[in-house]
Amino acid sequence: MTKYKLILLVLSVISFTIFIACTSDTETVTEEASTQTLKTVQDRGTLKCGVNDNLTGFGVLTSGGTFEGFDIDYCKAVAAAILGDASKVEYIPLTASARFEALSSGEIDMLVRNTTWTASRDRDLGNDFTAPTFYDGQGMMVYADSGYKTIEDMDGATVCVLQGTTTELNLDDRFTSVGLNYTPLTFETNDPLQAAFEERRCDGWTTDKSGLASKRAEFPASAGGPESLVVLAETLSKEPLGPLTRDNDSKFYDVVQWVVFGLIQAEESGITSANVASMAANPTDPGMARLLGVAFGDGKVADFNFGVDPTFIQHAIAAVGNYGEIYERHLTPLGLTRSGSLNALWTNGGLIYAPPFR
Amino acid sequence: MDLFINKLYIWSRSQKNRNLLIQFFFLIFISLFIYYLFTKAILLDMTLSHFDSRAGFGISHTFIIDYTSNDSRWVSYFTGVINTIRVCIVAILFATLLGTIMGVARLSKNILFSTISYLYVEILRNTPLLIQIIFWQIIFLKLPRISEALTFGNTVVISNRGIILPNASPSDNGNIWITIIIIAVILSLIVSYIINKKEDLDGKNIKLFNFKFNGNMLSILLFFTITITTYFILQKPFNLDLPSLYQNNKGTFVQSGGFEFTPEFGAILFALVMYTGTFITEIVRGSIQSLSKGQTEAAQALGLSNYQTMTLIVLPQALRSIIPPLTNQYLNLTKNSSLSVVIAYPELFMISRTIMNNSGRALPVFFLILITYLSLSLVISIFMNVINRRVTKIGT
Repeated sequence: MTKYKLILLVLSVISFTIFIACTSDTETVTEEASTQTLKTVQDRGTLKCGVNDNLTGFGVLTSGGTFEGFDIDYCKAVAAAILGDASKVEYIPLTASARFEALSSGEIDMLVRNTTWTASRDRDLGNDFTAPTFYDGQGMMVYADSGYKTIEDMDGATVCVLQGTTTELNLDDRFTSVGLNYTPLTFETNDPLQAAFEERRCDGWTTDKSGLASKRAEFPASAGGPESLVVLAETLSKEPLGPLTRDNDSKFYDVVQWVVFGLIQAEESGITSANVASMAANPTDPGMARLLGVAFGDGKVADFNFGVDPTFIQHAIAAVGNYGEIYERHLTPLGLTRSGSLNALWTNGGLIYAPPFR
Repeated sequence: MDLFINKLYIWSRSQKNRNLLIQFFFLIFISLFIYYLFTKAILLDMTLSHFDSRAGFGISHTFIIDYTSNDSRWVSYFTGVINTIRVCIVAILFATLLGTIMGVARLSKNILFSTISYLYVEILRNTPLLIQIIFWQIIFLKLPRISEALTFGNTVVISNRGIILPNASPSDNGNIWITIIIIAVILSLIVSYIINKKEDLDGKNIKLFNFKFNGNMLSILLFFTITITTYFILQKPFNLDLPSLYQNNKGTFVQSGGFEFTPEFGAILFALVMYTGTFITEIVRGSIQSLSKGQTEAAQALGLSNYQTMTLIVLPQALRSIIPPLTNQYLNLTKNSSLSVVIAYPELFMISRTIMNNSGRALPVFFLILITYLSLSLVISIFMNVINRRVTKIGT
């Protein structure tokens, strides 16, 4: 009897020692998992994508319960590329202030939520930006009857802005650099901000120009409709938007990055969602064959060893179309003209450019 | 060895010792868990060194601190703390006033008063505070727009940008004035204390030029003598800062000057006052009802009016059981003020969130927020405990 008691005592001490050992063990396991997102996604069978659910054109939750938009199509493209099925995406709507912690904590695999590429976010917050999918710039929207034509006119104005964004900081830089007084009204979400703007609590509304175009397009007629608003010509800042993944996760990072490039290259090569199947069956040149992961003539298939099927770009194009198609579908209806802007293909004088598939 | 095991066996036979053992292991488990969290936290940058860098964002409501975006994050943080304290102090005062009036009205024989109080409590107590805050914001936004602002002469401007009142801005002599007034107040208090004490001991008032004076009158006289003399030497203590509303060269209305009562401040203030007021109403009502009926009857028998009965007999006695639960409500109000983040009132939680986002370091900032709210709550508790100790002495 006494021996059992003693054994019990010794066992419990041992179990606590093991507990300490285990905590450090599990730690290394989870750390490995977080750097192997590609494998995690393949094992899980779905892609967890952090998105916006309240920005028409980029990411919006429709009344039918589905997500739609420019950013959403990149989730679909990556899911199609890795898993071969564009519907295998779990969309996780995030606020501007919660998005980075959601990514770093592993709640989502990738973040495509009109997020600006900045140095502090890339390095300090432990993210990796893949490539810009949309070159945006911060703008200022005012009421047409206010007479404001430039930022310099707006001395003493009240400006509505979202909290926790680079927008808030750019706004202050712009006004203080020219010595203008202004009052920022900082809101956490868009809905109370819009309510205040509609009642003219603020003179200006500042965010990315794409966001302003989207908000202007759906401005309610009861408050004056889109015609009552103008977006000032000036651009306050550079805002390159694109998908991002976690630091030290290069396999997954590479796949996402080259899906982005692949869709751009597809537009340049004239491959669309409609003709991708026939192009894959009968590629017109070796470059196209490399992009689509098929053999040219009697040659061999060029496998770039991405850890996914060599035809991954083909799946992505089939699911969402090339860059131009995505833009046409979501951003042209907002009034964001592509030709002549930074978002035109490089061959047309824009910045949309993909490194060679070779 | 056998002896040791034997002893251990005998030791473990006692229920008390076994409990001790279980508690010991539980303690080890808890310490290990804390140690685990600590090892995780130590990997993060837990210092607040980034608070020394430039804030870089604007704040719409500044009070006392003259904040600009060039100041450090510490200054922006304290601007937020002051905004929290500001709304809490005003809300606590008005909520107490409203709650006391409504609590008395609830017991009134007048059906109109008691029904209003009843409806007020039942409706506002049973709806979420967050929704009430947004409701008040919408109400304030429905004030006339700035282009149609109501103006009263050049003194008051009312629009949904805020209710702007004339403000007193300190003149060149402002600081000297403030110092002199503080000295005058302290001096008067000392004089009244000494003279009252002396008169109590002597049992008669001091006579000056055939007038009888008591200490209070003398101290008031002293205070006014000092301030009037200073006025003749230093002139005005402050300049009047009148609000102005004008159209700029683009034809858009711009306002400047004056003391601004903004819709954001108004919404959070109204919501906190109305919501907390309901609970205070119930506390006041309960405390009054807990007094024995004999107190009221005795007062009436002495011929005191209803008002006198309430203010001289009932409320002072009810105060003893009012104060402890009242402290809870004050603490709740302070903590609830963090909800104003939804309507763009820049209090401490909102500004900390902005700093968190800009720096990307959430955990140390969260600790700072917790410590700040804890300190605010403790200050309120200590203050209320002091009052409670004084109140419980009444009548003993």
